[in-house]
Amino acid sequence: MTQGQSVEKILVPFKSVPDPYAGAAASTSKSVINPFDEIAIEEALQIRERGEATEIVGVTIGAPAVDEQIRAALAMGIDRAVRIDDARALDPYAVARILRALVEKESPQVVIMGKQAVDDDSNQVGQMLAGLLGWPQATFVSKIEFLENKTRARCTRETDGGLEIVAINLPAIITTDLRLNEPRYVSLPGLMKARRKPIETLTCEQLGVTVRPMTTTLSTSSPTRRAAGTRVGSVEELMAKLKQEAKVL
Amino acid sequence: MDFAWSEQQRELLDAVGRFASKQLDYDVIANDRDAVFNHDAWKKCGEFGIHGLPVPAEYGGLGMDPLTTVAALERLGYACKDNGLLFSINAHMWTAIIPVLSNGTEAQKKKYLPGLCNGTLIGGNAMSEPNSGSDAFSLSTTAVKKGSTYILNGSKIFVTNGPIADLLVVFVTMDKARGADGLCAFLVEKDSPGLDVSKKIEKMGVRTSPMAEVFFTDCAVPEENLLGKEGAGSFMFTKSMTWERGCILASAVGSMQRLLETSIRYAKERRQGGQSIGKFQRVADKIVNMKLRVQSARHMLYHCAWLRGQREPVYMEAAMAKLHISDCWVKCCEDAIQIRGGYGFMVEYEVERELRDAIGSKLYSGTSEIQRSIIASWLGL
Ligand SMILES: Cc1cc2nc3c(=O)[nH]c(=O)nc-3n(C[C@H](O)[C@H](O)[C@H](O)COP(=O)(O)OP(=O)(O)OC[C@H]3O[C@@H](n4cnc5c(N)ncnc54)[C@H](O)[C@@H]3O)c2cc1C
Repeated sequence: MTQGQSVEKILVPFKSVPDPYAGAAASTSKSVINPFDEIAIEEALQIRERGEATEIVGVTIGAPAVDEQIRAALAMGIDRAVRIDDARALDPYAVARILRALVEKESPQVVIMGKQAVDDDSNQVGQMLAGLLGWPQATFVSKIEFLENKTRARCTRETDGGLEIVAINLPAIITTDLRLNEPRYVSLPGLMKARRKPIETLTCEQLGVTVRPMTTTLSTSSPTRRAAGTRVGSVEELMAKLKQEAKVL
Repeated sequence: MDFAWSEQQRELLDAVGRFASKQLDYDVIANDRDAVFNHDAWKKCGEFGIHGLPVPAEYGGLGMDPLTTVAALERLGYACKDNGLLFSINAHMWTAIIPVLSNGTEAQKKKYLPGLCNGTLIGGNAMSEPNSGSDAFSLSTTAVKKGSTYILNGSKIFVTNGPIADLLVVFVTMDKARGADGLCAFLVEKDSPGLDVSKKIEKMGVRTSPMAEVFFTDCAVPEENLLGKEGAGSFMFTKSMTWERGCILASAVGSMQRLLETSIRYAKERRQGGQSIGKFQRVADKIVNMKLRVQSARHMLYHCAWLRGQREPVYMEAAMAKLHISDCWVKCCEDAIQIRGGYGFMVEYEVERELRDAIGSKLYSGTSEIQRSIIASWLGL
């Protein structure tokens, strides 16, 4: 890899989702940064720490309540954040259109974001954003390296068939997979610093986008609970049960 | 009167809770058995910002008020079962960091506090001696000034963090005839010539917190490492002792809360005589007592810390908090064992360890008897 000037700006869009690790017992539903997006934030931070990027800007869409997740991202170390003030449940296309407007305003060289949000598992925004911008994309990425004076990036993708390595021209969209890194935890000094970092609030109107939800969620339900298992006394009993009850042998 | 946390306090306490449950909820059984200190967890706590909670930002800390600090340590105690690690952190904070912060020269604070705050330096305190425990000011380790150094001779016992400490706050006498007025304190670095640290002392509880004896044989300490003034030792000790007493059991309150919750769960799940044991009034009563103890312990902890934040003297409140919380902690552990029956006696159930850990709290930072003497004397008796 050639050492050149650093990427000026990385934009990291992130979503606030119900805490997937809260467990059924949790009385209040706490929100957290979507884990895949947290990986995207961590990657941007590591790139900046390697001296390969100058500024990291985070963006999220939501009501003022998501400021808590914004502060968590600032506390991890991003430099500043934008909240698009919109409390509606937006579908991926609407989100991608809003993000396009912000990308045009901020002109980052790289957008890094989670491959999907764990609440709706859509896995579409990154791809749609690339399409709307006409930018190259590398999805499900588990490794990022910059090439040729930061004009290109070499990304390792996790596919069903194994690893695929692609090179893309910048600016580009990169979506992150689980194995890219392990996000750092927010430290207390980070939290204190975050209180002094700016959060800018913009509306869709200010960005000049009108979005209408195109999908309506009719209902959601939890998967049915699995029945408790039983303990068998011997290998013979196990074999018998596998044959007669489970009918898998 | 307002018992609510501010938005910023809540955010900080949530962050501590998340950090502790993700990073410090590790298995303690083997470390306790083998008396192993968890350096990695220590380092994480330092980087996360725990050690420097009450220290102003200019010295590498977070500048938190005492109330927020104890509440943060309580969250740590709730999520982390390694009471020994927490004891080492507390000893480091209250018996090394606070004396340096309150009495150090600007140069001493600049030199030591940033490292003590981020955990790269480990601190300890050497006061107790074989012949002076509760009667601490009768100590006999001596210091004699020779040119620009002080020469220390004597020995100290029960030095928490001794085997791993980079910096010890050491109390000595310069004139035994003057009693308490002859005392002073030094910041002694680990590689000082004439300083010897014994191997780890085996203990009943908080076994993951290493402890040693420390010996001084013509140990030369440069004069710039005198902490405070000659003769001010007893005053400094008493002052930092109130911090220690008022705060050192903050994590114990978290531990009690955890014991309460796991005991409730156990009492609901364990069935005897056709019903869950929690339905037996004699079991339920134990849990009610645990709840009362946690709540009252927490209130005393918070109140003492709040008073200190108001810059009020807390001599009696700190003694009351120390006495009450340690008593509640030990009793909660006993109840937690009793509720679990024979299982509670077994190592695997992790409450016998909690009891062994708790018992020390009635001894260090002044025994319960000494706390009672302090309270009695403040009551004019
Ligand atoms: C886990 C642990 C960690 C420790 N860490 C440190 C440390 O880091 N640094 C350090 O310097 N020390 C440390 N200590 C020592 C601790 O401070 C002393 O053990 C304590 O002050 C009591 O002193 P002693 O053990 O000599 O007991 P003694 O003073 O001999 O007391 C024996 C008994 O007599 C009672 N008694 C004594 N005097 C009176 C009195 N005036 N009125 C009524 N009853 C009295 C006591 O309450 C006790 O019941 C630690 C101790 C423990 C257990």
